[in-house]
Amino acid sequence: MQTTISIFKKGAVQRKRHPKVEDMIETLKLIIKNKVAMTGLVITMTYMILALLDVIYPAYLGYGPNIITSLPQLLPPGTPLGEQLPTPPTFANGWHYWFGTTVGAYPLFPAILASLRIDLGYSLVIVLTGAIVGIFVGTFSGYFGGFWDELMMRITDVFYSIPFLVMAIAFTTILSYSLLQDHVPVNGFNLVALALIIIWWPTYARLTRSITLSLKSSRFIEAAVASGSSRIRNVVTHIIPGVLSPVFVQISLDLGSIVLVFATLEFLGLGAIIQINSYTPELGNLITIGQAYLVTGDWWPIFIPGVFLLIFTVGINIFGDGMRDVLDPKMRR
Amino acid sequence: MELKYYIIRRLLILIPTALGLLLMTFILLRAIPVSDLIANYVNQRASPAQRAIEKQQAIALLGIGQPLPEQFYIYIVDILHGNLGNMYSNFYSGPVIVGIEDYLPFTLELTIFTVIVSVLIAIPLGTFIGSRPNTVADSTGRVFSLIFFAMPIFWLALVLQLVFGKNIGPLGAYGLPISGQGYPSTQQVGFIVNGVSQPTHMLFIDSVLHGDFPLALVALEHLILPVLTLSMSILAGLLRFIRAGMVDTANQEYIKTARAKGVPEKMVLKKHIRKNALLPSVTVIGLLVAGLLGGVVVVEDIFKLEGLGRLSLAAVVGTVGNNIQFYGVAGTILFFGLILMLTNLIVDVVYAFLDPRIRY
Repeated sequence: MQTTISIFKKGAVQRKRHPKVEDMIETLKLIIKNKVAMTGLVITMTYMILALLDVIYPAYLGYGPNIITSLPQLLPPGTPLGEQLPTPPTFANGWHYWFGTTVGAYPLFPAILASLRIDLGYSLVIVLTGAIVGIFVGTFSGYFGGFWDELMMRITDVFYSIPFLVMAIAFTTILSYSLLQDHVPVNGFNLVALALIIIWWPTYARLTRSITLSLKSSRFIEAAVASGSSRIRNVVTHIIPGVLSPVFVQISLDLGSIVLVFATLEFLGLGAIIQINSYTPELGNLITIGQAYLVTGDWWPIFIPGVFLLIFTVGINIFGDGMRDVLDPKMRR
Repeated sequence: MELKYYIIRRLLILIPTALGLLLMTFILLRAIPVSDLIANYVNQRASPAQRAIEKQQAIALLGIGQPLPEQFYIYIVDILHGNLGNMYSNFYSGPVIVGIEDYLPFTLELTIFTVIVSVLIAIPLGTFIGSRPNTVADSTGRVFSLIFFAMPIFWLALVLQLVFGKNIGPLGAYGLPISGQGYPSTQQVGFIVNGVSQPTHMLFIDSVLHGDFPLALVALEHLILPVLTLSMSILAGLLRFIRAGMVDTANQEYIKTARAKGVPEKMVLKKHIRKNALLPSVTVIGLLVAGLLGGVVVVEDIFKLEGLGRLSLAAVVGTVGNNIQFYGVAGTILFFGLILMLTNLIVDVVYAFLDPRIRY
C-alpha cells in the first residue's frame, strides 16, 4: 500500500507543467464562479443548441426541412381553412399553439424555434468573418505602421462616420442591385451577411490596432526581434495571440447587436429587395408580419418573437460583460 | 496647445474623412450600371422634351466619357453646388437636396428632444444609483439599463404603441397618437405652406413661435412616443456609463481628502464626485448619437414621421416595384454622415473645453 502511494506521488511530481492549459482552467473556474456570466452563458447555449438541433436533425419540430410551406398546414382539426386571422395563445391544441398563430395560421412557437438557425447562424458567420479580417488588418497595420496604417485608419474613420444601420441599408440594396444586374445568383441572407461583413470589420481593426501598438513596445517583442524573428513571424506568433481575448469579448457583445441589425433590416422591408419569402422564419420577419394586426390590439404576433430576441441579446450581453471582467488581467485577482 | 489650435486641427482632420465619405458614396453609385443611373435621374412621367433635357443633365452630372478621377471631381463639385440628383418615390419626388432640406429639420428636432430628455433623466438617476453601489436601487438600475440597451428599437416602438396607442391599448381614446406629426388635416393654418411649417420646419417650435399653443400641444403629443422609444436606448447607455464613473471617482484619494476635511456629504457628491464622473460621459454621447441616427430610421418608419430617415428608407423600399432611387440613397447617407461628423466634432471640442488636459 505504502509503495503505490509513493509511486503515484513520484509520477505527479515529474508531470510536465502546461502554463497555457493551467491558465485556461483558471479562467474557466473564474467564469463558473461569476454567476451573471454563467446565466448569460446558459441562455446563449440554450439558443445555440436549439439552432444547432435545427441543422443536425431538422425534423425535431415534427416537420422536415420545408418548414415554411408545411407550418400553415398544422391547423387544429375543425378549423375552417379560409380563416387567416391570428389566434391567441392556447394550451389546448398541443405545443405548436402555445404561443398562438400569426398571419396565415402560421403557428408561432415552431416558427420561432426554426428562426433561431437563420438569426444565430448568420450573425456568427458575420461576426467571426469580420473579426478575422479585422484582426489581420489591425495587427499588421499597427505593427508595420507607415503609409498603409494611416490609410487603413482613414478608411475605418469613414466607416465610423456613418450611422451603422443607414450604411447597412445602403450597402445591402446597392450590392443586391448590382449583383442582380450582373446575373450573379446570391441567396438574400448571404447578401445581407456580405454587406454586414464589409461594414463590420473596422470595429475589430481599430480594437486590435490599439492593442498592437501597446504590445509592440513590450519586452517580449524586443526579445523576439533581438533573436532574429522576422516581422511577419512576430505578428503571427506573438501579437495575434495577445489580442485574442479582448476580441473574444467584443465578439460576444457584437453577436447580440448583429442579431438585432439583422432583424431590423428584415423589419424595415428589405426582404422584398433581397427577395426573401415573406413567411421566412426569421425573428425580425415574424415581428413584421405580426405588425399588420397591431391596430386590432393582437399583441402576441409582435410581443412573443420580440421577447425571444430580447432574451438572447440580454443573455449574450451579460455573458460578454462577465467575460470582460474575467479576462481583464487587472480585475482578475 | 491652446484650445484654438486644437479646434483648427480637429477641423483639418475632418477633411480627409469627408473626402473618404464622398469617395464611398461615389463608389456605391458607380457600382450601378450607368444607364440605370441616368434612368434614375429622369422623371419618367415628364414630357419627352423634358426627359431629353433631364437626360443631358444626368450625363453632365455623372461626367460620362471622362476618366474616373475626373468623374469624382465633377461629383464633388456638383455636391458642393447642392446638386445631389433626383429621386421619385411614393413619399417624396424631386431633387434630393430639396427633400433633405424639407425633412432634415424634423429629424434634428427628434434627435435634440431625445438627447435632452435622456440627459435630463440620466444625470440625476445616474447620480442616485452611482452613489449607492450594490443596493436594491443600484441593481434595479443596472437590470433596467441592461435590458433597454439590448432591446430592439422597432420592437420597443411597437410595444409602446400596443400599450399607450390611441384606440389600441388599455388607455382607449385617451391614448397617445401613434402616427404622424400632428399637422392639422382640415383647418388652414397660416404658417403651414405645402404641408411643411415655416420658418424652421419643426412643427412644435414653429407653433410656439407663432403663439398657436393648442397646435403646439398636439405636436408635442405626437412626439412623446417616438422620443420615448429613442431615448430608452440612449438613457440605458448613459446610465451605465455615469454609474461606472461615479463608482470609480468615489474611490479616488481626493474624495477621501474632501470627506476628511469635513465637506458636507451632499457637496462631496455634487461638486467632487459628480462633476468628475460626468466628464467621460460626454465622449459616449457621440457614440450614442450614432446609434440614435440609426434608430431614427426605424422610428420614423413605424410612427410615420416625415424626416430624413423616412426619406432614406423611401429611396430604398418606398417605390412601386422597388425601383431603388440611388441618388436618394447616396444623398441621405451623406447627410447622416455629416450630422454624425459634426456631432463628433462638437463632442470633442466640448470635451477639450471641459478637460484642459486633453489635447490630442
